Order: sequence, then C-alpha cells, then structure tokens
Amino acid sequence: MLRIYVWLYVAFLYAPIAIITLFSFHSSPSLTFPFEGFSLRWYARIFTNTTFMDSLWNSILVGTATAATTTVLGSLTALGLARLKGRVQTLFGLLSFGPVALPGLFLGIALVMLFSQIGLARSLFTVTIAHVLFTLPFFLEAVRSRIEYFDLSLEEAARDLGATPAQAFRLVTLPIIGPTIGGAAILSFALSFDEFIITVFVSGNNTTLPLTIWSMMRRAVSPDINAASVLSLSLSIGIILLGGLLVWYQRRSALNARAKDIQE
Amino acid sequence: MTASNIVELYGVTKAFGALTVLHDIDLNIVEGEILTLLGPSGCGKTTLMRIIAGFEPTTHGRVIIKGADVSNLPPDRRPVNMVFQRYALFPHLDVFDNVAFGLRLKKWPKDRIREVVRNMLQLVQLGDYGNRWIHELSGGQAQRVALARALVNSPSVLLLDEPLAALDLKIRHHMLAELKRIHQETGTTFIYVTHDQDEATILSDRIVLMNGGRIEQIGTPEEMYAHPRSLFCARFLGETNILDGAVRACESEVTYVDLGTGTVKVPTNGTALAVGQKVSLAIRPEALQVCRRAQPAATEGDANALEGTVEDVVFMGSRVLYSIRTPVETLKYQATRSVDGVMLAQGEEVRACWRPEAAVLLTH
Repeated sequence: MLRIYVWLYVAFLYAPIAIITLFSFHSSPSLTFPFEGFSLRWYARIFTNTTFMDSLWNSILVGTATAATTTVLGSLTALGLARLKGRVQTLFGLLSFGPVALPGLFLGIALVMLFSQIGLARSLFTVTIAHVLFTLPFFLEAVRSRIEYFDLSLEEAARDLGATPAQAFRLVTLPIIGPTIGGAAILSFALSFDEFIITVFVSGNNTTLPLTIWSMMRRAVSPDINAASVLSLSLSIGIILLGGLLVWYQRRSALNARAKDIQE
Repeated sequence: MTASNIVELYGVTKAFGALTVLHDIDLNIVEGEILTLLGPSGCGKTTLMRIIAGFEPTTHGRVIIKGADVSNLPPDRRPVNMVFQRYALFPHLDVFDNVAFGLRLKKWPKDRIREVVRNMLQLVQLGDYGNRWIHELSGGQAQRVALARALVNSPSVLLLDEPLAALDLKIRHHMLAELKRIHQETGTTFIYVTHDQDEATILSDRIVLMNGGRIEQIGTPEEMYAHPRSLFCARFLGETNILDGAVRACESEVTYVDLGTGTVKVPTNGTALAVGQKVSLAIRPEALQVCRRAQPAATEGDANALEGTVEDVVFMGSRVLYSIRTPVETLKYQATRSVDGVMLAQGEEVRACWRPEAAVLLTH
C-alpha cells in the first residue's frame, strides 16, 4: 500500500512538469490530448521572440549579480556570526534569518516606497537590490551550520605553521567552506531566477523572465508558454548541475595532483 | 640571558576583562628538556601555552624565545609549533599535505619537501600513510600526524596541548613512550600541558605545578613527589596522607607536632614556626611501616607511631593497599607483596610507624 502511495506521490510531483514538457514539443497548437506528434516549432518561435530573449538575458544578469553580491555579503556575515558567542550569536542568527518569514508582498511594497523616497528609478538595478535582500537569509541559513561548526583551531593551526591571516583564510578556511558557499551561491541564483512577487513591484521597463511569461499568459494561453517554461526549468536545473559538477571536478583534480605528488 | 634557556617568561600576566587568569609568571625553559605545565582545569596552564605560541597577547610581561623578545609577534613569526588538543588537522588535505603545509609556506623546493616529509612520517611510524585522508585515521594516527606536522618545521620549542586527552588509556601509554622516543631522536624542547599527574611524572624532566594562575612549585617529578612545598602539591601529585596538628615546639632540626593523640617529630622545613601554629604532615602511603601491635616495633626508637585497625585490604598483585583507621585519620598504606605471603587481615590491630624524615611539614 505504502509503496503505491510513494509512486502516486512522485507522479503528483512530476506530472505537471512532464505534461508541460510533452506539450512544448507538440506539433499542433492544441493544449489537450490526444497528442498529435513532435515538433520544435514552439521553441523556434520562442527563440525569435525578442521580448522573451531580452527578459531571459535580464534574468541571467540579475541572477548573477544577485548571487555574487549575496555571496560576498552573506559569507562575511556568516564568518562574523561564527565568532560571536552565546546569546548574542543566537540573537543575530535569528535576526538575519527572520526575513525569510516576510511576505514578498510586504517586502515589495516596502522597497517601492523606499526607492521612491530616495528617488531611485525602478530598473534592473532595483530588482537586483531587492533580490539580494530576498536571497540573503536563505544564503545565510544554507551556510550557517557549516560555518558555525567550522573549527577555529584549524585557522590557528595554519597561523602556527607560518601562515599570515590571509594565507590561513585562502589555504584552510576557504577550501573547507568553499563548496558550501558555492552551493549557497547557486541557490541564490536559482531563487533570483524564479522570483516573481517582489520583482512585480520593483522592476522598471526591463523585466525578468517570470514576469514576461506571466504577461504572455495574460494575453492568451499559447503553446509558446510551454516552451518558455521548459526552457526556464532546464536553465535552473542546468545551473544546479553545473554547480555540482564544479565541486566534483575541483575535488577530483585536487586528488589527482596529490596522487602525482606522492608517486614522483 | 642564560645560554641554555630557550624560553624565558618575565612577569607574564593575563587578564580577560576583570578576571586575571595568570599572575606575574616568571619561568625559564631549558633547551632540550620536557617541561610539563601541570594543574587542574582553569589553573591557567593552557593560557600560558597559548601566550608562548602567540595566540593570546599578554596583559603585562615579556616572552623571550631564543634571546629575542617575541611578545608582540604573531604566531606565524614565532619559532614554535603546536600540537593541538583535538589535533586540528586540515580535513581537506591528506596526510602528506598536512605535514608539508608549513614547509610549502616557507617556499621550500618541492623535492626537498618530499624528502623531509617522508622522513618525518617515518619518524612517527606513518611511512605508508602519506595519501590517506584525515578522516580515515584512528585517534592515535591522527595524533602522530599532528606531531609530524609540527616537528617537520624544526621548531625551537614544540608545544603540546593535552595531546593525549582524546585517546583511550591503552593508546595513551603507548603514545607517552612514543613521545619520549621522538623527543630523544629530535632533541627538540617540549612544553607539555596536562592535568594528568601520571603523564606528567612519566614524561617530564621538570614539572611546573600551577594553581589559580600562579606557579605552585617547579621541580623534577621526584623532587615534587618527595618534597612537596604546599598541601596543594602534596595532594595533586600522587596519593598522600595528610595529618593536621599544631606546633608544640620548633627546634632548628626537629619540629614537634601535636596531633591531638600524641606528639610526633618531623624535620623543620626551614622557617621557624610559632608554638600553637596549625600545620599539616604529608606522608606517602609507601613511607609508612605497619606491623601487628603484638610484635615489637621494627624501626628505631625515635620513630613516630599511630595505633589503629586494618579497615580495608585491596590486593593489586605486586602491591597491597590498606586502609588503616587511627584516632587521627584513616591512613592509606601501600606495601609491596612479601614473598612469604604474609598479609595483614581486615580487623587486625596494628601500629603504623614512620621515620621523622619520611614526613613533610607543611604550613597552611
């Protein structure tokens, strides 16, 4: 019984994805069964759709900028948190994670008001600021446990063996927490790439991919949307795989270098 | 500076806020010796070691290593290396890279590093472990890697912070012997921090006994054991019987102490004591001589004696431990097993005797 339940559960999770993917290759504009054959025509249309391509590029741009900014700010915060002690650490930990519970609606409105107060025109720049704000708590939560349990005596050992503070960080701290930070950076990109509610409030004339798909939907439910969604999904998955691959490759090359060093 | 002193501490004081953990420590460490900083937790021994390593700045005082004042130098610029309590091995590097870490920072040529690291791994008997990952090592092996990683830099002083605390008893004794061997082979000065008096007595050339941020006594393990200068020292190192009493008379050689049940003699400890002053006698369990009360005393006429009853007998193979209840105190008495197999039995009436010089007179 329970085994069947698990199968149903997986089917429930993945059926929408499977159906969208299937119909993105449909040769007819019909969005209902029966399925009449394969074609790439919707993809061809999407790739020539400049609105779509521009917003895709915008999303990649914003996602990258967000991930980079969040990684720098978040890593420094996490490293700082690890050096605080006791109740102060708990307090600041909660404060930095708190915004996860904020409704996007609230954050969106608050930011729009702030931007208009300081006279900052809405653009991809304001979108990036908003996304950094949105992704930071998630980033911190993803890296916190790893960094909190980072044994500070490892840094001391490096210093003891002759490393300057910068060398200790580069040769010991970074390689140990690096993969965790890389993973969290990719998470930030994925979150930014998907973000909708806050972006609705803070974006200007240039919009991101989710907003474009949304406005395409409002005009008419066309098969283009299937192709667009599948494309955006593949991009998200691709980024995550790329991240995993990078970490794996780094490990392997380090291993090989070491093996060679010993054999020589 | 004396030529043979490799580390000199002058008036080292350390305060964390309002809490002073080290008070005005003066200490010289002789080149080539194993010096143990011994004391209960919170006595300041670890802080003192971290000050020598450069991880903690002193509040007052100077640290001299090899004649140079290093008080204001960071750890990476001091000629000392440390073995950390939980080893602090780098988990992202294998054994070889861990040991090579210091030499690579010094930009040694590659082939030279390879040779020196290999020899060092050989010294700690991990010759074939170069490409093992840290998480694949047992506690004892990790300990050896930590030793090799520090020693490969040929430090003037090797600092060891409770290095055996995380190991189980069997490996601990083996590692103690290993540490002694490595010390002999390298000739490096060791400063060893521990709260374990057994480790300290087995390993050390000299022990620095610390208590409450101060040095209680410095000496060889034997001196410390035979001539404790304070109650704290007498109690911390080995088993001891403490008898409280008051001075009845104090002569230049002999002091007479009233234990309440009678007067005993003890060598005067240097200072003249006032009549009536509260004092204690420390007597090691193996310094007592105990015989059945019916028998005549085996010792000379001026021996001190307390009469009592055997309360408990613990047979430990070569040794027998007795508890003897006397009107003053229950005495611990340790005898070597006699070949004829004569043992005192529980409940026997006995007389515990000791020669005056077997006891140490301690003031409060």
